[in-house]
Amino acid sequence: MEGFITTYGFLMVTMTLQAMLALSLYLPLMAGQLSLASPGFYALGGFVAAVMSKSVFGFTNQQVFPLPLVFVEMAVAAAICAVVAILIGVPALRLRGIYLALATIAFVEVVRVVALNLEITGQAIGIFGVPQPFSRSFDYMALTLPMLLLAIFFVYRLERSRVGRAFSALREDELAAAAMGINPTRYKVLAFVMGAVLAGIVGVVNAHLLNTWNTRQGTFDVAILVLAYVIIGGSRTFLGPVAGGLLLTALPEVLRAAAGIQGLPAPVAQFLQDGRLIIFGVLIAVGTLFFPQGLITPRMFRRWRAAHPQPAAARRKEAQA
Amino acid sequence: MSAMLSVQNLTRTFGGLVAVNDVSFCVEEGEIFGLIGPNGAGKTTLFNLVTGLTPVTSGRQFYRDTETTRMKPHQIAALGIARTFQNIRLFGSLSALDNVMIAQHLHTRAGVFDGVLSTPRARSEERHVYDYSMTLLEKVNLASRAHQEARSFPYGDQRRLEIARALALQPKLLLLDEPGAGMNPNEKAELSDFIRHVHEEFDLTIVLIEHNVPMVMGLCDRIAVLNFGVLIALGTPSAVQNDPAVIEAYLGD
Repeated sequence: MEGFITTYGFLMVTMTLQAMLALSLYLPLMAGQLSLASPGFYALGGFVAAVMSKSVFGFTNQQVFPLPLVFVEMAVAAAICAVVAILIGVPALRLRGIYLALATIAFVEVVRVVALNLEITGQAIGIFGVPQPFSRSFDYMALTLPMLLLAIFFVYRLERSRVGRAFSALREDELAAAAMGINPTRYKVLAFVMGAVLAGIVGVVNAHLLNTWNTRQGTFDVAILVLAYVIIGGSRTFLGPVAGGLLLTALPEVLRAAAGIQGLPAPVAQFLQDGRLIIFGVLIAVGTLFFPQGLITPRMFRRWRAAHPQPAAARRKEAQA
Repeated sequence: MSAMLSVQNLTRTFGGLVAVNDVSFCVEEGEIFGLIGPNGAGKTTLFNLVTGLTPVTSGRQFYRDTETTRMKPHQIAALGIARTFQNIRLFGSLSALDNVMIAQHLHTRAGVFDGVLSTPRARSEERHVYDYSMTLLEKVNLASRAHQEARSFPYGDQRRLEIARALALQPKLLLLDEPGAGMNPNEKAELSDFIRHVHEEFDLTIVLIEHNVPMVMGLCDRIAVLNFGVLIALGTPSAVQNDPAVIEAYLGD
């Protein structure tokens, strides 16, 4: 067990963080907005944590970083991300579909290039020796697992509330939603800001976990990866991105482990070891072909509900909850 | 100004096409007002102007004493103007119940945290929204299928669901864009009764676009006739019916 935790502790924490990143892309998607800005805010959050822990709070790599200060960083990162999200969201969300995706990718690039040139973000070198609140990677689970559960709870409840209904109305038909009295700009920006805040908070934790932060974090590649989580996992229910984030983060490591199984012919082991990115790519392609709606779809819930009929009273209560 | 809705010299052009050309009329409180005209006469464009979905090129429009000429759709909806669409625009992959619940957005206040934390305020709001939605669905005989996907409904049911959704806004003025499109005479007669009933029960002013002349004649207090974007006649059904300009527009010369 101890060996397993040492080997896979980092991976498990990363899985929870990536699942949250997937949720941060899912939030604007709830309102029908395909935004790929999450990695930009994630990078921003990471820099906030790296700069604050080293320069503002003055901790070094050798000291244990107090957990409450991580929460302070989260609050600051959330506030900064929210402000930036409002500033770029109001103009950018006038764009639709693929054009919004392009504009948000441009934002990710802008963040990267700015960080590459600013003194405070360490330019090309980045910021090293970000102090850690935990001594072992796995211990971050105490922080990230409750965060993930909280994020899931938040999105789950949001979907069933007045604001969530406004989001789904916008996703279905923006014009009809406006005719029903929903202010499209307001709710699109709101969804965008919530996604940005979540991505920023994930960045904060990740900067501590990685011990370093630089412009190679939160790039265009991450945007595509996170989009893959949501597309493969399923974009119509919050469980899709969570499952996609967890599974796809674990997949390369599972393949690596599979390559180590005794008795495999050498070429197969070699392929599992070195070709795991190829397998990963093929799975994404095959997944989108055979599960166009993703692995987890709302229809699955409906089927489950049909198989487990509830009395009318319970359903009524559910609708009210 | 005692009129519920008034448009003054309203014009909308799309490139070189004048879809609505210098149209002026008033809709009085409490009446059922018909808007008829051949295909492409600009009826739906006029609805889109009134509800703010299409910006006005020139002219002005008022709801009671409020000028709505430059307002956005959601602001106009907030004044109490609801509509249905000619080509049915339900939230297709959501349930019938959700469709009606969404339309009560303006009458509820719960924010993000109310909803997520399920505060007493949010819960009591949700209860009211749910109850009122079910009441409306019962009125259009769809309560038993409240949890089904809206797009799985037969055409006529989708039309009625759209009316229920518009009623959920608790409007004062209801705009119905060809509610009887694609219905047979029996269904149209039923629809007329339903519209009359809704008009009474919800104390509404209704503007309706309809092709079917007998239906409009039987239902409406006054009728406006559009042809090529121009208002060519306005008056009681019998007056409009005998207007030479209207006869020419419909039958040609």
